[in-house]
Amino acid sequence: MTTKSAQNSVSTEQTYWDDVRVGDLIEGYDLTLDWTKMVEQVSGSQDFYPVHHDPEFAAEAGHPAIFYNTGWTQAALCRVVTDWAGPSGWMSKFRFEMRRMNIPEDQVHARGKVTGKSELDDEHGLIELEVWLENDRLGVTTPGWATVRLPRRS
Amino acid sequence: MVRVTGRYDIDAVRREWMGRKTEVVPGRYPVEYDSIRRHCHMVEDTNPLFLDPQYGKQSEWGSVIAPPVMTRYFAGSGVWPPSSDEGVSLLLQVPTRGERNINLNTEWEYIRPAKVGDHLSSQTEVIDIYEKSIKLDPRSVWIKTEMRITNQDGELVAVGTNTLCTHRTPEQVESEEGERPL
Repeated sequence: MTTKSAQNSVSTEQTYWDDVRVGDLIEGYDLTLDWTKMVEQVSGSQDFYPVHHDPEFAAEAGHPAIFYNTGWTQAALCRVVTDWAGPSGWMSKFRFEMRRMNIPEDQVHARGKVTGKSELDDEHGLIELEVWLENDRLGVTTPGWATVRLPRRS
Repeated sequence: MVRVTGRYDIDAVRREWMGRKTEVVPGRYPVEYDSIRRHCHMVEDTNPLFLDPQYGKQSEWGSVIAPPVMTRYFAGSGVWPPSSDEGVSLLLQVPTRGERNINLNTEWEYIRPAKVGDHLSSQTEVIDIYEKSIKLDPRSVWIKTEMRITNQDGELVAVGTNTLCTHRTPEQVESEEGERPL
């Protein structure tokens, strides 16, 4: 199995369908959920529902802490795919399940794996990916699945 | 959500609300650079396809594009000034047992990119409503919606389904069920 890391500026590398193998791992990247990151998730998502930034509101609703919102979660998973796919790749399908929560102080790891490969036409092929967020407290919190259209070399 | 404190008839709610849809509603603003930049900042994304106009111009897309998961954002009206987002309004009118909510499953098909300058529109439909027991609430109400997003040329850009779990607070559950959850 091979890995491809998105941590360090590989966003402009093109991934070609021909070179991808089922079982390839996507190393992805890591994030530390400090309180600045919490503010960034509200700013970037424009999701001001207090359960994502107000600890007292979250506690009143029965949650152990504020938890990171849908906009942040899908952005984190999407980045795994788009970093890996390169500039001419296209994420044509995407779904995810918010099964467990990512909360302040968590160390989050965004990862992926190639699970399928099929031909599309003379110029493109399709790749199936599993992507996920995991943290050091709970393991996998947010599994996701993506279909990516990649260019072929010839 | 409209919280129902008395008898809650899930079958009547399903009959009345499933299939309801909004008009085709234009997003407030076109796809724009700065919102994309803030989105990327959340997850430390430095992809020039989303951030660098010169790079985007030379790419096969011919422009900076939004990360696919932002399509929904640009098809909406945002939270300020106070929203007339019909999709959200439709969802808020569905009778539920609780007013608290958690967004759960989201699934999208992305047909084509949303480029900076595109003006997106959306239409939302309630496609399913059902009850499910969760740790917080033994009779939470789940609402599934479908959104179709088009661009200024009427081309389909994306189709998404979203599942929202609505639930009561522990105090409300205790008051209405006679037993506190958790």
